[in-house]
Amino acid sequence: MNILLILITIMITIGAYSLSRFINKRYPHPLLNVVFLSTAVIIFVFLAAGISFTQYQPGLNIMTFLLGPATVALAIPLYRNRKILSANFIPVVVGIVFGTTANIITTILAAEFLGLNKVMVVSLAPKSVTVPIAVSISKILEGDASLTSVFVIATGILGTFLTPFLLNLFKVTNPLARGIVYGTTAHGQGTAMALAEGSIQGSMSGVAMGLAAIYTSFAAPFLVSHLLI
Amino acid sequence: MNRWFRVIPQITLLWVIYKTGNILAEITHLPVPGNVCGMILLFVLLLAGIIPIAWVEEGADLLLRHLAFFFIPIAVGLMQWVGLFQLSGLQLTLVILIGSSVGILVMGSVSKIFSRSGSANGNQSAKGGI
Repeated sequence: MNILLILITIMITIGAYSLSRFINKRYPHPLLNVVFLSTAVIIFVFLAAGISFTQYQPGLNIMTFLLGPATVALAIPLYRNRKILSANFIPVVVGIVFGTTANIITTILAAEFLGLNKVMVVSLAPKSVTVPIAVSISKILEGDASLTSVFVIATGILGTFLTPFLLNLFKVTNPLARGIVYGTTAHGQGTAMALAEGSIQGSMSGVAMGLAAIYTSFAAPFLVSHLLI
Repeated sequence: MNRWFRVIPQITLLWVIYKTGNILAEITHLPVPGNVCGMILLFVLLLAGIIPIAWVEEGADLLLRHLAFFFIPIAVGLMQWVGLFQLSGLQLTLVILIGSSVGILVMGSVSKIFSRSGSANGNQSAKGGI
């Protein structure tokens, strides 16, 4: 493994990220998601240039070095919104616990019913929480990190269409409730949508996203071990 | 650059909390990821006033602004699974749609019960999330 190749793969990644951010800022649309666009560009370049995933691994390790501290930093939005959280503690926690539990159980049962294999079922279980935590949960459950990250991002994209549609259909108008549903269903991407709706929705969504991740990391291993055939 | 003299120690502190979270997860044998332990630990330290938010704020905001960047190399691992999405793409999309819809409907119903009993009050605004 030579240093030049590592540098090239890192430069391709940063280039794809910058390009995708530029496109996303110019044409902000959930389908033009930065992670999806960048990943597609990188895989395309790697396949064309004959670079394998094994050759990418050293660069990957360097680039994801700060993912741990970045995940810990998710405590900051939670702390900034502590007042709105403590003022609505019970509805927030009850909503997240029931919603997340229902989401995970339905996901596991639907995946098994449709005949998906064990690695896929397990990798789907934490799909509604933010990528780094979903990936860690998936690893504990012996799922696959890259599958989980893609399922999480797909959930975020589908969630940004599905959440407002269903909330309006069932006439959920309370801004707190809407924020909780956005953050719990579609993590960071949902929070971006919620922020566009209003500041209460946005901050509630950020809080819900953090709490749902914590709750899922306790609940998912338990539910998977009881529901996996 | 003056800014980096503040940001680098802040990110180092976040890294130390992350490592502590990992050690905590390991010694307590909780089935919870180390990064979640680290996040809870930082939240508790902030609430207790042991770490003032100014010690980590700028570094944390920088990392959170580029959070998506760190996901990309992980998602590139998908190139090992190319055939999978042609084979099971429809089923996977269905599973995600069904799971998310049920979750949304349950949360919507729970929130309606609470807003009827009047415990959810939405008049407290706060600074934006992420």
